[in-house]
Amino acid sequence: MIVLPDRVPWFLIGPLMGVVVVLVYALLNKRLGVSGSYTQVRMLVLGRAAVEPWRVWFLVGILGGAILTTLLRGGAIAGTDYGALGRLLPVGLVVPILLVGGTLIGFGTRWAEGCTSGHGLAGIPSRSPASFAAAATFFATAVAVTFLVHFATGGAL
Amino acid sequence: MNRMALLLGVAFGFGLGAARLNDYDVIHNMLLLREPDVFLLMGSAMAIALPALWLLERRAWQTPGRGVMRLVRSRVERKHIFGSAVFGAGWAITGACPGTALAMPAAGVALGLPVVAGIVLGQVLREHMARAAARDLSSRHRSVEMHVIR
Repeated sequence: MIVLPDRVPWFLIGPLMGVVVVLVYALLNKRLGVSGSYTQVRMLVLGRAAVEPWRVWFLVGILGGAILTTLLRGGAIAGTDYGALGRLLPVGLVVPILLVGGTLIGFGTRWAEGCTSGHGLAGIPSRSPASFAAAATFFATAVAVTFLVHFATGGAL
Repeated sequence: MNRMALLLGVAFGFGLGAARLNDYDVIHNMLLLREPDVFLLMGSAMAIALPALWLLERRAWQTPGRGVMRLVRSRVERKHIFGSAVFGAGWAITGACPGTALAMPAAGVALGLPVVAGIVLGQVLREHMARAAARDLSSRHRSVEMHVIR
């Protein structure tokens, strides 16, 4: 059964996410952030106690919420689609590219102590100078690299 | 606290999936400045959170059992700039960030898994480098101390 539209508009999801940022601060006294949750889950898997167990639960929740949207759209079949990138290149090439790209994400967010959620969605409303600088940098770099990819692939991406 | 974190995570993950932020094409088109939707989404989230947090902070909001609400605020350091530049490149290549990468496999996008694996690998690499740098620094300090003692 399809209950959820293909893409729920920004003016519904943006405010929802804003409210979540506020509630994480108001109820847990923490800055919302996803990259920090990866670290806590890794601690747990390695058998060390998670310093901030709430982050593990937050990450589990993200998975659950995302699965919920899939179910509300009538379910999904696991496949090797990856948008325009998957259409342009064979899977055997896409996997190492994504692995390298992912490594840059993990390395960079650990270094900067935050990602799109921590420095962006939560950090900017906290009026943190570090978050303003971080968000400006990752937006500028991402747009620049995306245009580089665009021209390097002759507009295919 | 953990149950609350779980529920808030569900709401956040629902948002990521509902707005299709776990779709390479959506993020790629955003970063190509082809459509404003994701910018508007993030902007409206911040436009709501900023005044709400400001007001709560001003009123010294008492969180349930965790003291007065404190906003995380830090001054700009090199790590924020360099780290974010590296992250931005990875974001552009994969069309994913740590949150949306989790929401990919949840939507049947199997290729979200190498992104998630890469993120974990990258974090481990960074921690190793940071530890090695700290060791190097402390051994250098020790040799300087020895020199001074002599």
